[in-house]
Amino acid sequence: MNNLFKKIERRSASIYSQKDKFWLIVWFGILSLTLIWNILFLNKPALDLVIEGFLNTLYISALVVILSFILGWIIGLFVARFETSRFQILYFVLTFILNIIRSIPQIIGILLGYMGITYLITANILHNHWLIMTTMALIISLFIFNEVIDLIRERVNHFRKLDFYNAMKVCGISENRIINFDILWKNSRIHILNKLIAIFGSAIFLQCTIDFIISVGLSTQVSSVSLPTTLGSLLAKIDSKQDILAIGNTLMNPSYFSHIFFEHLQGVTVAFLIVFTLLAVYKISNGFAERNRL
Amino acid sequence: MTFKKKILEHLLSAFLITSLLGTLLYFTIEKKNIEKIQSNEKIESYLGLSFIDFENPFDRALLLDVLNAYEPDQTSEHETLIRTIEQYRKSSLIAGMEEAYRKEPLSSKKWQQLSLMYAKFILIYMFVMLLTYYGVQTFGILRFVRRQQNQKSHLLCFLQQLFSAPKFSRIKDYLKYYLQAILHLIKAVIIASSYFVLFAPAYVIAYSLKTQLNTDTIFFMITLAVISNGLLITYTNKFYTFLVAESRKGYVQTAIVKNLNTSYKQTDKSGISYASVFSFRKHFPMHVFQHIFLNARYQYLQTIKEQASFLISGLIIIEMALNIQGHFSYELLKQLLYKNYDIVIVIILGIFYMVKLTEIFTDWLTHKKSLKYENIEPVCAK
Repeated sequence: MNNLFKKIERRSASIYSQKDKFWLIVWFGILSLTLIWNILFLNKPALDLVIEGFLNTLYISALVVILSFILGWIIGLFVARFETSRFQILYFVLTFILNIIRSIPQIIGILLGYMGITYLITANILHNHWLIMTTMALIISLFIFNEVIDLIRERVNHFRKLDFYNAMKVCGISENRIINFDILWKNSRIHILNKLIAIFGSAIFLQCTIDFIISVGLSTQVSSVSLPTTLGSLLAKIDSKQDILAIGNTLMNPSYFSHIFFEHLQGVTVAFLIVFTLLAVYKISNGFAERNRL
Repeated sequence: MTFKKKILEHLLSAFLITSLLGTLLYFTIEKKNIEKIQSNEKIESYLGLSFIDFENPFDRALLLDVLNAYEPDQTSEHETLIRTIEQYRKSSLIAGMEEAYRKEPLSSKKWQQLSLMYAKFILIYMFVMLLTYYGVQTFGILRFVRRQQNQKSHLLCFLQQLFSAPKFSRIKDYLKYYLQAILHLIKAVIIASSYFVLFAPAYVIAYSLKTQLNTDTIFFMITLAVISNGLLITYTNKFYTFLVAESRKGYVQTAIVKNLNTSYKQTDKSGISYASVFSFRKHFPMHVFQHIFLNARYQYLQTIKEQASFLISGLIIIEMALNIQGHFSYELLKQLLYKNYDIVIVIILGIFYMVKLTEIFTDWLTHKKSLKYENIEPVCAK
């Protein structure tokens, strides 16, 4: 028994020292506890909505990560190749366009993209929920993928300065293979993975924010009915907003604190899921960078 | 890329976007004017007859009789026409009332209003930028100093004190010991809560405080922009990472050998005092940290462009999500809703110029510092 305790203690200490794994476990653990609490105390329709909103948010954010990765890798590759090729004009055109996208605040670009989605929905061109969510993810990734390109360019430029790059070229290995396999896959995949974790957090933040803004500010028939439920749109609902107001109420009236976990569960859960997920993803990303000494 | 080339690229992109949005603005205004003219021409020609009062049923009946007398084989069409004119008058009256409320031309008065909102937006942005610039460095240094002092997390201290309590002979000692443990717990709870606040999107904090505070004030907006949306914590962490990376470099060891101060205790005379950490112009004379700080700050300067873009997004989020009337981004949201696309284009152009100016300023600053520290052009990711 004593040995078992020691084993558990050693294992716990090892997990605690690897902050990314520790926070991943904490995230899952707290999410499970929140789910159990909600099953016990939240009414069924509201619980279904919260679960649907959370899963949709995760789905869109995961899709943003995948799309940003694909777009970033492909365009980053073109930029890296054009930079040293004789097609310098293509390099300047590409970086010029990328810099223009960078100069548009993400939130404005995504908001305009969402306006396009609502137009497509009203014109009955876009009606499948999965397709709508995929389009939402594509729009968000268009304003995030620049981060992947920056990383790829930074890594390629770093390795280009080293001897092995020229040595491989002299050996007749194609530049595509050197960049894709030797630089990005063999020597940078941990950096890319770390960037993708950070992008996952940004995607959740941007998506919740834009859904909240659309639901509060542009509460047209389309946005309230046809857009898929996400944590952001759930938070904008009047009952959720009242639940959030109750949190402020406890500051002046601390005895009300116990009520918010029973009577205002929907809004509090949604707000908690957003904030805690953002915090956990940040901690995981930091822990991952620390563990791999990035 | 050289500094001149960078500036040229910024100016070129500003010119391109201005031309693109300017053309779009021209066509939007033209389209608005054409829409006004192209309302139902046939009905408008009847409504233009000055001797007929369409409010009067007698006049309407008279027009129907005249039309029937003129074209006797089209009586049913004439009746439909009179009904259509009636419906058109009603709907155009309602639409007119709605449009008077929603449709706004890009008049000189509107330009004036937008300019005022823009000036306010820029002022708030500059103020928040200054505060975050200070906050990022201050909190980054505090965290670094804590690390150098080998301070453990308060939660760990609490757990350690709880599970490895020594045996005391007096109750007073027990009380003192557990009071210290509880103090650690309270500090841990405060830090955890502040993490939640720092990561919370601005609208979550604002809505939770809406009943207790006036959330429409500029002061509240600035505070919210600094602490929420993960801005402060993200860049504090970035700055802290730069400090840690710099502290591992070889020149730090050389500086220690050359007898520079290395103590990070606040109580030491040669240590890092709170006054120098919290001062706006941070200076740590004769301390090895001075060099770590300067080099880390130089790297941090290169990320300001990214931070500024993040901050502008944050400000837009706050103004839009809180529906703060009379602010630039709320105006953008409102005009999008009312489909006044000419005003939307002007607002987007304004925000784009601000981002571009920040980028130019940051490039200039980095260039200036690189001349001072490296004597060469810095290599940027962009």
